Amino acid sequence: MADFERLQAAVEAGDREAAVEITQTAIDEGLDPHAILEPMTEAMGVVGDRFSRQEIFVPEMLISARAMKGAVALLEPLLIGAGHKPDKVAVLGTVRGDLHDIGKNLVAMMLKGANFKIIDLGTNTSADDFLAAAREHGADLIGCSALLTTTMGNMREVIAAVAEADDMPDLRVIIGGAPVTLEFATEIGADGWAPDAASAVHVATAVVQRARGERRLEGVIHPEALAVSA
Amino acid sequence: MRLQFIVCDMLMLPVEHLAAESPHELVLTDLSASLHVEPVPLRDRIQEEVDRIEAEDPEADAILLGYGLCGGATAGLVSRSKPLVLPRAHDCVTIFLGSRERYQREQEQTPGTYWFTEDNVKRGNAFMGSLLGSSERADGVKATYEEYVEKYGQENADYLMEALGEWQQHYERGAFLETGLAADSVALERAREETGQRGWRFETVLSDLTLIKRLLDGEWDAEFLVVQPGETLVMSYDDDIIKVVPAASGDAK
Repeated sequence: MADFERLQAAVEAGDREAAVEITQTAIDEGLDPHAILEPMTEAMGVVGDRFSRQEIFVPEMLISARAMKGAVALLEPLLIGAGHKPDKVAVLGTVRGDLHDIGKNLVAMMLKGANFKIIDLGTNTSADDFLAAAREHGADLIGCSALLTTTMGNMREVIAAVAEADDMPDLRVIIGGAPVTLEFATEIGADGWAPDAASAVHVATAVVQRARGERRLEGVIHPEALAVSA
Repeated sequence: MRLQFIVCDMLMLPVEHLAAESPHELVLTDLSASLHVEPVPLRDRIQEEVDRIEAEDPEADAILLGYGLCGGATAGLVSRSKPLVLPRAHDCVTIFLGSRERYQREQEQTPGTYWFTEDNVKRGNAFMGSLLGSSERADGVKATYEEYVEKYGQENADYLMEALGEWQQHYERGAFLETGLAADSVALERAREETGQRGWRFETVLSDLTLIKRLLDGEWDAEFLVVQPGETLVMSYDDDIIKVVPAASGDAK
């Protein structure tokens, strides 16, 4: 019998083997793929909150995300068959001149879990490449990351390029990375800022909702602003 | 002048040489480069030393900082009674290269550069914070891997080592900042080895120690920032790198 509590616990503990095993059992029992996905999404929410509160750190996030990824791979064909489709598209990358991407990779994993389709451009991504990918994939959002104070300034180029792209009026930009502050995000006119991969999900979702007219928020969207408005 | 100098030990070799040539009275406090891994604790540590010096050394004319912005670590430092002086630099690579412009050129040309100095190699601080050490700290790497195996199991441990070490594949150059102050440097050879093991190309890059010299000689021109009593250092998000603002009323005396 597939045990959803154990499945949630397996993802929280980063136990990929158990997560995959329980998922396969659930599939074999003919359970609804959305129902199987649910405890894993729940688990990543729990893990994400712990990460935001700095009760756990990057290694734990990585292994939980990996456990979920392994299990979701089994569910994917069934979900697609059931008409499940991501309803938001984000292009992610580390900015020009910056070659670090662990944080960005975590954001990608978390956003996929929140029903985003992710186009990951990797590191050292020029503004032109961000825009080209956004155009090609009909993106709602560009997510820029930087680890260094020497490269974070390059985020301005991306925002400028987005502002000039008249053919994509609903395209938005969120930024993050170790030295990137809310103050910087405000100064350069980013639409959203998050201090970590877990809160990035809430910010990214809110930024897209605002762009679609589904939500009203002022200024740079960030975790505290969301907590107040919720 | 009587100058107190709080300095990151990445800079010890050139500092020790140039301090001897300074016309001023210098008192050195060195802090480990390993602190760079976490900017907030580093800032707290530097502020602790600043506060201590302000309390204990009323005769000091200024407090020099052997730091740049350092990932944001110096942003938030407060001067209460003594001016703080530091170079306008993102980090010590600017200080070794001699100018912001030179560092910027290097970064634009070869962003995937890992910088080595005599001190960071000698003191085992190369690759600190990357979660994967160099072979000279093979015990450190092994310890991390074993910790991960114990905590998360071998499969997860293998995955973590790969994920956390992946940045090395994006880098292409190991650059040793040559000061000319250490003959027959063992550190240089170690740096060359570490570079080779990662498949990067190795280069020595000649330092220009003018910023350290001017800091120690009291020649604080536009390349330096002076944080006056009652001011806080903040990021400027432009080519000045850092600037000052009035300290919050709770901070200033």
